[in-house]
Amino acid sequence: MRNIPINQISPQGLKVWRLYGLMHSAIVWLLAIGGGVLNWWLEGPWWVLMICVVLPVLYTYLFVILFPKLQWLRWRYEVREQEIELQYGLFVVKRTLVPMVRVQHVDTAQGPILRKYDLASITISTAATTHTIPALITSEADELRSRISTLARVAEDDV
Amino acid sequence: MSNERHKLHPISALLNFIKGLKDLIFPFVIIFVANGFQGGSTEDSHWTAYIPYIIGPLVLILVLFSGFIKWKRFVYWFEDDELRIEYGLFVKKKRYIPIERIQSLNYTEGILHRPFKLVKVTIETAGSGSTKEAEAELTAITKEAAKWIETTLAQAKKRKLSKISDSDLVGEVDIVEKETTVTSTPIFKMSMKDLIMLATTSGGIGVIFSGLAVFFSQFSEFIPYERIYDEVVVFMKFGVFIVAISVFMVLLVAWFGSVVLTTLNYYQFTIVQEDDQIVLTRGLLEKKKVTIPLSRVQGIRIVESPLRQLFGYCAVIIESAGGSVGDKDQKIRLFPLVKRNKIKQPLQKLFAQLELEPDWISSPKKAKPFYYRLDFLWMMPVVIAISIFFYPFGLLSLLILPIIFLLGLWQHRSAAFAQTNNQLSLRFRGFSKSTFFIERKRMQSLIMKQTPFQKRKALASIETTIKSGVTGVTAKVDHMKIEDIEEVMTWYKPSGQ
Repeated sequence: MRNIPINQISPQGLKVWRLYGLMHSAIVWLLAIGGGVLNWWLEGPWWVLMICVVLPVLYTYLFVILFPKLQWLRWRYEVREQEIELQYGLFVVKRTLVPMVRVQHVDTAQGPILRKYDLASITISTAATTHTIPALITSEADELRSRISTLARVAEDDV
Repeated sequence: MSNERHKLHPISALLNFIKGLKDLIFPFVIIFVANGFQGGSTEDSHWTAYIPYIIGPLVLILVLFSGFIKWKRFVYWFEDDELRIEYGLFVKKKRYIPIERIQSLNYTEGILHRPFKLVKVTIETAGSGSTKEAEAELTAITKEAAKWIETTLAQAKKRKLSKISDSDLVGEVDIVEKETTVTSTPIFKMSMKDLIMLATTSGGIGVIFSGLAVFFSQFSEFIPYERIYDEVVVFMKFGVFIVAISVFMVLLVAWFGSVVLTTLNYYQFTIVQEDDQIVLTRGLLEKKKVTIPLSRVQGIRIVESPLRQLFGYCAVIIESAGGSVGDKDQKIRLFPLVKRNKIKQPLQKLFAQLELEPDWISSPKKAKPFYYRLDFLWMMPVVIAISIFFYPFGLLSLLILPIIFLLGLWQHRSAAFAQTNNQLSLRFRGFSKSTFFIERKRMQSLIMKQTPFQKRKALASIETTIKSGVTGVTAKVDHMKIEDIEEVMTWYKPSGQ
């Protein structure tokens, strides 16, 4: 068994994912409350009310606590001289290998939430695919971006 | 090089007009159909009722005029090693394409082109990034003009390559001389028998049907359902037999249509190799000639649909890079239909490196259940629901289960990959069997996927993506032994560690 890539993404990334989770949980909560009120108003059956409570609680647990944690634990990346290797996935574990020669360009991106936590994501594009490393400390991301682009320029084609 | 500006043949005006009409047909039909259903009584002829009849001819004249203008203002010429095109009346557009960026010229001869010995030329570039922009189309020029463009391009490219400094006129002439002697080797010609086979087994049926479905879904708003419903009830009284017959007739007509279309499109299909290009010609009414530089070929794919597999036939498709968005010619059918056992020789001639019969590593026995288990799981509730709600006849849906089971076994038998020196071959089946042959340097990335269930059995899936057109195409083989996949991963790693 080959050893897995060594670098983990920033622990701050976990916080950001939790925040994202909270955001859509809020929407689910709103819908559930709306449903609950409607149910109470129309004097619907009691089990509908139960669903309106259990569903958002479960959703919040999964998307704020459990899934981000699992995902964060899984995420690994490593940029070597001749290739980039990624490992990610919640249930389905994906292991991606991108040779440096195939890299066409590298981007970093930073939304408002990521900026608040001083994070950025890196997107690596080949001629046909794109691969994203989601949450790295901004300075680290910038450094990695320039490193990849230098390595990509140096890499020799193995024709 | 002469900087003389060239115009297209006047017939372009007519072609532009026809093309404009084609784009308009749909909105027109909708307008008229909507109009026909909304009013009903034409007795109280308010003037607004005539608006469509006024707008119609007006639009027609406009389209005719714009087609004419498009031709009138369109010029092309060579200057500074660029192909320059200018067109447009109010918004004047100029497009300059550097000659070295031009990848290939494709020719199409429609029915209107042929009496005048004309040809439509599509200029293809490497198409990096902003795609649609760097393409050009010369709607109709004479064959001599097309030949002239071709030689000018070749000449300019050659000059750029050899970098002959200063105007060494004698050398230039020499180069032109060399360029005209292109070695062309015929690779493949589809026989009449194969053409008929292709036409009769063509999947074009599906295309026509989906076309019909789209057509009707577009019109569903305008169809007076109540009236139709009444008529259908009357119709039903004639009995199921008539319904069945009419369904069959529709199927038959659709099938016949696809046979005719395929025959017209693939008539006299030939592949010729000219230097480092593949030249493909086909078509009866509309003759097409497509050139593909061999260096643009990213991978080769053999597709065997169950029906064709039964007769020992397959299709060979090449995935090539570049082109523009929405260009269907990027998935080029190299051999639309050939006997499976006859592809080796012509393919080897084109691609000497290609390993067509590698040592396949198949999906292991323990992976068998993975191919039908999940499908069972989500089909079960459906089958149960159908069986309950349509009780006696609904039970027929149980037949789906053995079908899924058998298809799963079949998919399992097809799943395999092989890794040779510089090539990865992947074989898998959805319904049709696909076999990909990809050179290592064409693989953009390699991904290994593993679900927790696969992990328990030490299995995993593998997928790789190659460039095709402007995006990519992915080949994936499911449920293989993890050690075998690890080996491929190590093989793919440039560092090889």
